[in-house]
Amino acid sequence: MLLDMLYIVLLVVKDCRSQIEHWKKVENDYESLQDRLRTLPDKLSYDIMVPFGPLAFMPGKLVHTNELTVLLGDNWFAKCSAKQADALVEHRKKHVKNTLDDLQKVMKNFQNRADFTDDLEKLTGDTGDFADIREEVINEEEVTKGKPRLALKPNSKPKQEYLLELEEDKEKKEGDEERTTGVLSEEELWARLDELERQEELQDERYRLDSTDTNGEDTTSSSEEEKEADGGSDVQVNGHQKENGWVPSSITSQMNGTNGSHPEDEEEEDCNEEAGNGLPTIYFSHTAEFKKVRINTGKNTTLKFSERNEQKAQAKRKKKSGKSNGHSPHESYKITSPADIYRVFVDLVNGEPIPRKSILKSRSRENSVCSDTSESSTADFEERRAAFGRSWSHDDATHSDTSDGITEEESPTGTSPRTNGRFEAFTGTVIEKDPLPCSIPHLTIAPPALPTIPERKLEEVGPEAPQEPPKRMSKFKATRLHQK
Amino acid sequence: MAEAIQKKLQSELEKYQQLQKDVSKSMSARQKLEAQLTENNIVKEELGLLDSQNTVYKLIGPVLVKQDLDEAKATVSKRLEYINGEIQRYETLLKEMERKSEQHREVLSSLQQEYQRAQGQAVGKV
Repeated sequence: MLLDMLYIVLLVVKDCRSQIEHWKKVENDYESLQDRLRTLPDKLSYDIMVPFGPLAFMPGKLVHTNELTVLLGDNWFAKCSAKQADALVEHRKKHVKNTLDDLQKVMKNFQNRADFTDDLEKLTGDTGDFADIREEVINEEEVTKGKPRLALKPNSKPKQEYLLELEEDKEKKEGDEERTTGVLSEEELWARLDELERQEELQDERYRLDSTDTNGEDTTSSSEEEKEADGGSDVQVNGHQKENGWVPSSITSQMNGTNGSHPEDEEEEDCNEEAGNGLPTIYFSHTAEFKKVRINTGKNTTLKFSERNEQKAQAKRKKKSGKSNGHSPHESYKITSPADIYRVFVDLVNGEPIPRKSILKSRSRENSVCSDTSESSTADFEERRAAFGRSWSHDDATHSDTSDGITEEESPTGTSPRTNGRFEAFTGTVIEKDPLPCSIPHLTIAPPALPTIPERKLEEVGPEAPQEPPKRMSKFKATRLHQK
Repeated sequence: MAEAIQKKLQSELEKYQQLQKDVSKSMSARQKLEAQLTENNIVKEELGLLDSQNTVYKLIGPVLVKQDLDEAKATVSKRLEYINGEIQRYETLLKEMERKSEQHREVLSSLQQEYQRAQGQAVGKV
């Protein structure tokens, strides 16, 4: 609508301009006429070349130089002297000037209006709160872990479309390379459909659970997937892979797109605002690192770092020295990105600060009842939490969850038996799981105090719990089971 | 039923279009009158600038007829009054036509609604 208004106004302005031009010409003509009138009576007669038809001239004389027949308008004529004619012309010029002034005023008004609408349009349409965030995906060749699962339900096409739209609406967009949907093989398609379905389920679950955070492998993965998926284009096989225990497999490059970006620890945002397309564009890049290793989560486990964490460790080493054991120093940390969290949570192993893979896990398995989160870690965690306040964003938590999830999968099942009497507050949400062996979750489940611990930990809780895909369990159910 | 409505709609539409044409004609006539008004005003003023020594002519066809200055002034004034009257007349006419066209518009819209309803019913029946 604004555009229409603008158009009309501009039309009016254009019209005004052309009219003004016309009247200016008229005024100029009158000026030259006046000049002629002034010089005409200087001589009694002039020798001139009289036009004789359209093509010839004839020498002649101009006489009675002071007698002029003036058209007054509307078929009225008057015989006047040159001076009187001059006066008449002057009078007419006054009229022309008046018209010109009116036109100018109108034009100015409309011009102002046009500018105003222009500004208004720019104000409303251009900026807003929208920014185009783009992420260019570079490599699609990364090997992903896990097999693509066969889709069991072939009827989920419409859901896929829904998801596609939903995720396209999300802020993060990846490059066009990610949007390869056409060439998937059938099996991959099924797997993809399945994934999308699961995604949707996960989303629903997430809404049901704590609103502040999504914990647990599935939701983590789903959140990750959601974050990474561009319009749901590629198969989010990550979740599956996690569940399958990280069996690496090669997947087609199309899948690799998102999968490749999956194993990353964190994301780094490179925010470059570019003024393109009228929308500010923020270019977002994942620093996708292929996680080949696990991070030490306890003394028993092997200590391997991903590059990032090593860097972080080094940075931490440089930063701090003689840090207290495992407890994050209560320094003035400014957490601005998920990476910062890792920087903060550093285990001291052998006197050296080592970044811990999972914030919520305790360093040593010996200390904790369960190798994963549960009591001690949660205790520590809560301490730390208190120190930091709730400065974690949802993203951060998810990231920690992610890493936890990854870690846990790979953790050897030969962990010390979790059964213990120490039940401390469980600071995390519990994701719904299958009605599996009840032995799994109850040991360390306490009413969740804070909702940021991935419930992956629950898996490890159960003694010799088979590496089953963890089923989400609502915290209430968990509490119930626990109390039983 | 729908067809009857459709016919009515058509006739109404035609009437409306005719009315619109009349309105536009009146408008253009009025604009012409307005131009003449301004011109005659200028002539009157310029006649005022002249004195009786100058001869005034009126162009009637191909002939320039001599006129008296005062006569000319009177004629021009009369013409001015005439033009003013005409403009008034056209004004009222225009208003009337506008009102009528508005009525027609309403009728048309109601007919359209009826028609659509009938269509819907027909579809439903089918």
